[in-house]
Amino acid sequence: MQCAEHLAVQAAFDGELDAVAQAGVERHAELCPECRALRASLERTRAALRRDLDYGQASPELRARIARVLDAEVAREAEAASRSLRPAARWPRPFWLGTASGLGAAALAATLLFVLLVPLRSASLPDELVTAHLAALRPAHLTEVVSTDRHTVKPWFAGHADVSPVVADFAEQGYTLLGGRADYLEHQRAAVVVYRHGAHLINVFAFAPGAQSLPAATTRRGYHISCWQAADLGYCMVSDAGWDEMQGLTRLLEDLAARDAR
Amino acid sequence: MDDKRSRFEAQVLPHLDAAYRLARWLCRSPGDADDVAQEAFLRAFRAFDSLRGADARAWLLAIVRNCHLSALAAGRRRALEPLGEEHESEARAAATAPLPDPERDTMERDERRALERLIAALPAEHREVLLLRELEDLSYREIATVTAVPIGTVMSRLARARATLKLNWLEASRGEPRAVR
Repeated sequence: MQCAEHLAVQAAFDGELDAVAQAGVERHAELCPECRALRASLERTRAALRRDLDYGQASPELRARIARVLDAEVAREAEAASRSLRPAARWPRPFWLGTASGLGAAALAATLLFVLLVPLRSASLPDELVTAHLAALRPAHLTEVVSTDRHTVKPWFAGHADVSPVVADFAEQGYTLLGGRADYLEHQRAAVVVYRHGAHLINVFAFAPGAQSLPAATTRRGYHISCWQAADLGYCMVSDAGWDEMQGLTRLLEDLAARDAR
Repeated sequence: MDDKRSRFEAQVLPHLDAAYRLARWLCRSPGDADDVAQEAFLRAFRAFDSLRGADARAWLLAIVRNCHLSALAAGRRRALEPLGEEHESEARAAATAPLPDPERDTMERDERRALERLIAALPAEHREVLLLRELEDLSYREIATVTAVPIGTVMSRLARARATLKLNWLEASRGEPRAVR
């Protein structure tokens, strides 16, 4: 059996925790022989890897090859630029030619973006959501901004996530706002708003949905996932609360988004 | 145009060694690693305008990784292998299996080779996270950017990679438990 704190010990070892959390882990390790052993083993593994493994440096040949490729690319770009200037001098281009080449460039750019940004997707969105939800349940990982005040949480996202979701405290209706954090989802910094309902934690992920449609309501590893779209944002809610409770919060957030849009 | 080239050389080229090392660990042979690194630099140069102040190293390493994945996919297509879910794991196992090189086998006892073998035997998604953390010293957030998974997944993969490595190391060096225990 592994101590429940093993990921926290690892995060402390990797220098990922702030001073307070770091001190908490130190205190725990003093009492937990298992975590002390884990820390020692992490140190030994790192020492062995850094001592024995080295795949060295790029060879001078590779460096030269890359320089040649870049030279050729610069020349190609320069020629493409001068070619696009030349015909204009000879006769006026029909207006639609510009439109067409603009479309071509846009298509090319879109293809390039696709090639660069869409690696083979290994996990489906529901799996990603549940994994992120579970990771956040560990102590001190749930929220990066702790507040029951939406005027604190919403502005925080401006510097930390790619989207600005609707945020409000619904304590009167039974959904207490705990705070927010940023999390990677669909290759972007999603904004996550965290609510508590009774003993249940609810993570609400907000992100700009891509071409892919949002998944239908589903259950993974015992956690419910339901998604909806409001304004131009996709929202996905993950929780171990019941469907009815989740539906209640969904309605509140949808109403809020509708009011915001007006 | 030349300006783009010099900005690129200032921001991206310093990470060539890191890019090569990642490619070397992802690919089976040094030659393939050079090809992947070269292709990655070409793609990076073409997309350089999209970098805009982001972390250049993580950005470049993500491109290296994507180049490797598309090379892998292209190679599989070329070999006319039937594609499918069940072949995915086989292909991955083949890509990560210890290098079948008889000369290397004579050096079996060499601790360094032994450790390399253990790393090579890790599942690809565990290995990349471990190497980015331990050898390139990337933060969890940077690793999440490179491998395009949530930070929680980075943490659990890293923990599993380290645990597996330790276990296999103990197994392999039962007579001589020195480095990792």
